[in-house]
Amino acid sequence: MAYLSMGESHRRITDYLNRFADAINYQDGDSLARLFSVSSDSPSLLSLADALNVFQDANRLIKQSEKFSQFGEVVAPFFRSLQCYRLGNLVDAYGAFEKASNAFIQEFRNWESGWALEALYVIAYEIRVLAERADRELASNGKSPEKLKGAGSFLMKVFGVLAGSCDLQGKGPKRVGALYVTCQLFKIYFKLGTVNLCRSVIRSIETARIFDFEEFPIRDKVTYMYYTGRLEVLNENFPAADQKLSYALTHCCLSKEANIRMILKYLIPVKLSIGILPKKQLLENYDLVEYNNIVEALKRGDLRLLRSALQENEDQFLRSGVYLVLEKLELQVYQRLLKKIYIIQKQKDPSKAHQVKLEVIVKALKWLEIEMDLDEVECIVAILIYKNLMKGYFAHKSKVVVLSKQDPFPKLNGKPVAS
Amino acid sequence: MMMNQGANAQAVAAADPNSLESRYAFDANQGHAQSYLPSASGSEAASWTVHKVEGYPSQDGVPANANYQHGQQPEPHTKNVQDGSYVAPLSSSSTVGTASAPQDYNSYTSYSNTTDPYSAYSGYYNGYQQLTNNQYSQQQPNPSYSQSVEAYQNTGAAYQPNSSFQNTGSYAGTASYSTTYYNPGNYQTAGGYPSSGYNNQPTASNSGSYANYTSYQYPNYTSDTSSAYGSGSAPTTFQQQYKQWPEYYSQTEVTCAPGTEHLSAAGNSNHGSSLPSVSGGYPTPTNQPQPQPLPLPPPPPPPSLNPTWRPETSSSVLPSMQPGGAASGAHDNYWNQTAPSFQTHLAAPTQPLYQNSLDSKTSYENFQELKTAPQGQNSQYPVYQVSQNYQPTSPTVPSFDARRVSKLQIPTNPRIASNAALGIAKTEKDGSAANSLPRPAYVSVAVQKPKDKMSSNNAADPMLKPTMYPKSLCGYVERAFGRYKDDDKKREACEAFMKEIITEAIAEGTLYTRDWDSMPLFTLPDSHSVNNENIRSPTPAAIPNYKKSPIRRSKSRWEPLPEVKMLDKPVSASNETGKFGSWDKRTFNGYSATKDNSLSSFRFSASQQKTPSKSAQRPMKRQRIVNGAGLTNNDDDASSDGDKDQSLTAYYSGAMALADNPEEKKRRESRSKRFERGQGHRPDINYFKPKNAGPANLYTKRASALMLSKSFDDSANQAVEDIDWDALTVKGTCQEIEKRFLRLTSAPDPSTVRPEDVLEKALLMVQNSQKNYLYKCDQLKSIRQDLTVQRIRNQLTVKVYETHARLAMEVGDLAEFNQCQSQLQILYSEGIEGCLMEFAAYNLLCVILHSNNKRDLLTSMSRLTQEAKEDGAVKHALAVRAAVTSGNYVAFFKLYKSAPNLNTCLMDLYVKKMRYQAAVCMSKSYRPTVPISYISQILGFSNATAEGNGEKVLTGLDECLEWLKAHGASLITDNTGEMQLDAKASSSTLFMPEPEDAVAHGDSSLAVNDFLARTS
Repeated sequence: MAYLSMGESHRRITDYLNRFADAINYQDGDSLARLFSVSSDSPSLLSLADALNVFQDANRLIKQSEKFSQFGEVVAPFFRSLQCYRLGNLVDAYGAFEKASNAFIQEFRNWESGWALEALYVIAYEIRVLAERADRELASNGKSPEKLKGAGSFLMKVFGVLAGSCDLQGKGPKRVGALYVTCQLFKIYFKLGTVNLCRSVIRSIETARIFDFEEFPIRDKVTYMYYTGRLEVLNENFPAADQKLSYALTHCCLSKEANIRMILKYLIPVKLSIGILPKKQLLENYDLVEYNNIVEALKRGDLRLLRSALQENEDQFLRSGVYLVLEKLELQVYQRLLKKIYIIQKQKDPSKAHQVKLEVIVKALKWLEIEMDLDEVECIVAILIYKNLMKGYFAHKSKVVVLSKQDPFPKLNGKPVAS
Repeated sequence: MMMNQGANAQAVAAADPNSLESRYAFDANQGHAQSYLPSASGSEAASWTVHKVEGYPSQDGVPANANYQHGQQPEPHTKNVQDGSYVAPLSSSSTVGTASAPQDYNSYTSYSNTTDPYSAYSGYYNGYQQLTNNQYSQQQPNPSYSQSVEAYQNTGAAYQPNSSFQNTGSYAGTASYSTTYYNPGNYQTAGGYPSSGYNNQPTASNSGSYANYTSYQYPNYTSDTSSAYGSGSAPTTFQQQYKQWPEYYSQTEVTCAPGTEHLSAAGNSNHGSSLPSVSGGYPTPTNQPQPQPLPLPPPPPPPSLNPTWRPETSSSVLPSMQPGGAASGAHDNYWNQTAPSFQTHLAAPTQPLYQNSLDSKTSYENFQELKTAPQGQNSQYPVYQVSQNYQPTSPTVPSFDARRVSKLQIPTNPRIASNAALGIAKTEKDGSAANSLPRPAYVSVAVQKPKDKMSSNNAADPMLKPTMYPKSLCGYVERAFGRYKDDDKKREACEAFMKEIITEAIAEGTLYTRDWDSMPLFTLPDSHSVNNENIRSPTPAAIPNYKKSPIRRSKSRWEPLPEVKMLDKPVSASNETGKFGSWDKRTFNGYSATKDNSLSSFRFSASQQKTPSKSAQRPMKRQRIVNGAGLTNNDDDASSDGDKDQSLTAYYSGAMALADNPEEKKRRESRSKRFERGQGHRPDINYFKPKNAGPANLYTKRASALMLSKSFDDSANQAVEDIDWDALTVKGTCQEIEKRFLRLTSAPDPSTVRPEDVLEKALLMVQNSQKNYLYKCDQLKSIRQDLTVQRIRNQLTVKVYETHARLAMEVGDLAEFNQCQSQLQILYSEGIEGCLMEFAAYNLLCVILHSNNKRDLLTSMSRLTQEAKEDGAVKHALAVRAAVTSGNYVAFFKLYKSAPNLNTCLMDLYVKKMRYQAAVCMSKSYRPTVPISYISQILGFSNATAEGNGEKVLTGLDECLEWLKAHGASLITDNTGEMQLDAKASSSTLFMPEPEDAVAHGDSSLAVNDFLARTS
């Protein structure tokens, strides 16, 4: 850090205070937002942080004039936060920032229009990011990370402010900010693994009259759909997951490849579950090669390939939460295998094609190096019939699967496997 | 009431230890006397003393006293006659009658004082044990509220042992309860009270006060407390600290004034008797010797007295002694004295008289006296006067008596204390009587109990004499209380008001100039405040209980909770139903009737009431209950420590006596300081130091306020806030292998916590036990609790949790299993060895089969290490998971048969569901039929197919048939005679039947039968 004179420090701080006061006086949300984005590491804020570290008595400057002191409760803790952030003390930075945010929310509540929404977004974002970093710092010190949790409850409060503003005046101008905060909350909850907390927010977003989903900014809608889609994946509610993730995919800005990839990561397993296979090109474009073998196994009816593909990427799939979804593809692979047998039999002898002997299936599995006895295969066949992946019946006495002559292997066509 | 008293007694006991010296001595004496009495069972001796006492009271010429004497006398007699248990009840009852007032007061005083201060201290005290307690009490007069509470608890613990000793020895059962209520209450309270009072006040300064206390306690519990308070107040610290005490004092004083003579006489006689009894009854020679040395002047007499007393007390007291342990001495004395008096007089008449007329006035007088007294008790006294609340309650009558006695005693007590602990008590009473009231009774007392007392009294007498309440004031108080004869709560509130008024008058100097006769009666505040007060003061018994409960809480979460709960609930219940009634009955009936039988019956009823409530509250602790039945829970708990306690009390009593002289005071101060330093806790607290009087008052005020609002909670909270957890990590001393589980609501008591080696044995015992799961679960939970309390986290802990988890699994107790499982996860993550893999598998199975939470499952699976995935049990669990998610019933039942460890148990819980799914699946996919034999084999019905045992296969088949039928399957017989499942027909008729063992609350393991068996 280059040497910084007291005068220069004084100038920088006063400059910031002036800009802050101006942004509020002129209701310039964008400028105000920039003044809050601690973690953006913008040069102006970094230099301000240095100045603050040199000029320790910034509070005096704030109190000096009425112009600044009215925002003292916001600015003073913000300065402290910035200082701490600059010094790498993220836990304290978070604490001070939350204080500043709290004070800002109080101000925000009194502003009738939503001009400061941008600033609020930045605050919501910063509070989450700072909390995450603070937690990392805490964890590395062997302390229990709890800041993110605190950020969650703070954002819930912010959400309440935004939603509450609507109750008073019908559709308040600030309500459109609610979805952004919701998305930040989702991020926190998913990170913390407390996804069940999402439910209350979702309920108010989807049922409260004040919220018209189409009114929200598109970026928030995409994020929202992505997270709710993920929740549906966890619930194995594939049609809903498909709908939400598809919405996110189609509305996501094409330039945001990382976002598209994230969406696809969940959309592909969902699509596979309802019998829709992706093109190889898509997987390669978005670096989702882990799905390659699974798609291949589905195409070939290769149970062994499916199992090995699952095994190979088990950790990854478990972490993203799609493992169980992919595992369920096994039945589709069996279906494919039986269909193959059926087709081969049909080629040999069309008249007897609809009768598949159990032994044949066992043999086919043996070729795949999968050892299963008759009972188990019989059970699989029964399940396939039961789940309507195969039409026909099983004759226990003769150990033969009797397939329907019409469409013995119905395609899923976007419908999930019957439970 | 009983409960309260019992609690009070405990508290007192606790207090005694705290006070160490005088209190202890007194307590010890009392307790000894009691215990001895029971053993000696020489009712006659007791009666003798009583007679003497009677004479004194009568001499005093107070009708009320006479009445009391009458009532008491009968009781003692009865007691004597009854001997063992009966005697105890009688003694208790007699104490109630004569001492009842005193007892009540004591309990009250102890309550207020003890609860507040002690609660905070309790924790510390527990840890520190009795000695520390004593020290604490001494040291921390002011802060004492919280501390004092602790001290109480501690002392209570110490005392408990003593009392338990006594109890166990003589009482173990319900009788003890009743006695506990009354006697215990009285005794304990007496003991405890003195101690508590002592702790606060005595600690502040006075051996003399202690002596007073003890003496007071002896004569009447109330009087004891009052005296104690007075003595305490003399030190000033007491006054401040113990608002309640002041109240008590006031009450006692009031009573003293009118009945002072009588009381004092009684007290004196009591003391004398108690002392003797103590010496005699107290097997512990130490007590006697100690008292003797302490009372230096009196020592000779005490011994002599003791012998004589012993016979008396022993005979009559014995029974009473047992119940009242701590208070027994006092009781004995009371009994002896009071009993005789009672015999002669009618108990019923005395009570009313005392309450109404004598109480307020006398108390005032006493207060005044006290105030005027050099000791500085005066200031305290006003406060005590406030405590008149006690009077309103039924106990009030006795309390009044006690008060009177206490007044007399109080002055005397300090002196007595100085003279000799044991002897002092008697002498104190005598002296007090003489001092406060130049009544014949006193004289006689003095005569009986030698001149030692007199000498001691002389010093106090001057003080007492000046302070007498005007008769008009007494009348006023009477009127005030007369309005609420039937309402204990209101009476309490009334008491509080009276105290305020009187204190005010005293402060203004208008006590004598005011026209009390024309003074309008105040209106009571809303019932709420009244209730609060009631809780404290309504009935002595109730008060003691309350005090106890707070104390215990503060002391140890473990013990306190049960006790507190029990106390509180019982108290309330008893207040409404039996306590008051019992009191009245005892006091009135017992006294008036002079029927041993009636007394005993009363006691029994009381005991019964108490016991059920206690048992209900803490079914787990049988021992404790028994002890509690014996009167004092504390005693019970500390039963093993009984000897120590006694000796301690003796020591304390001696110390108390010594404390009277300034040098000894100084010495004690320095000693207490030393203790403080050593303990490191609350160095500021010096109950004994007069300097602290001001602060102490503040404390008392605060404490009393707290108590008024919610004494229990506050004290408990305070304790929690102040607790140094590291210092409080309990080191268990309990050697019992078996212990019932009881959720703690306060700090644990080391005496009920088992150390690690015992826990190991306990675990083995459970593992080898043939008893049912509920028993084992209970035992394991208590083991877990003890481990947690002692912060033991090692392989034993893991073993306990593993054992419990397995047991829970075997019976399908998922809730308990999950608890253990989550604890095990933490323990394993701390690197403690155990059956990690086995339980990882259980965890997986649990998530898969029972919670069906996809996210949890993912988390659990992602946590598995590669090593874990190689493990057989984990592999099996994963295979089960796969089978379940794919619905592969064949694989599931194959895995079911090959399950390692207890995986089967967890799978068991899923079998029904899986079978049903399989049946539905098969009925849809099979055509036309499926042989039942195949289904039976596939769905795991016939376990023996592999062995080819035809019979077993058949049984499996039958079972399968039954199951299919129960689920609505359609069955047909084919031409070969084999049963077949008609798949098509069944596909539409299958259903899941309602589980047969379903219970409304959803947990069949909580079925009524088992539940009842659990508490038996």
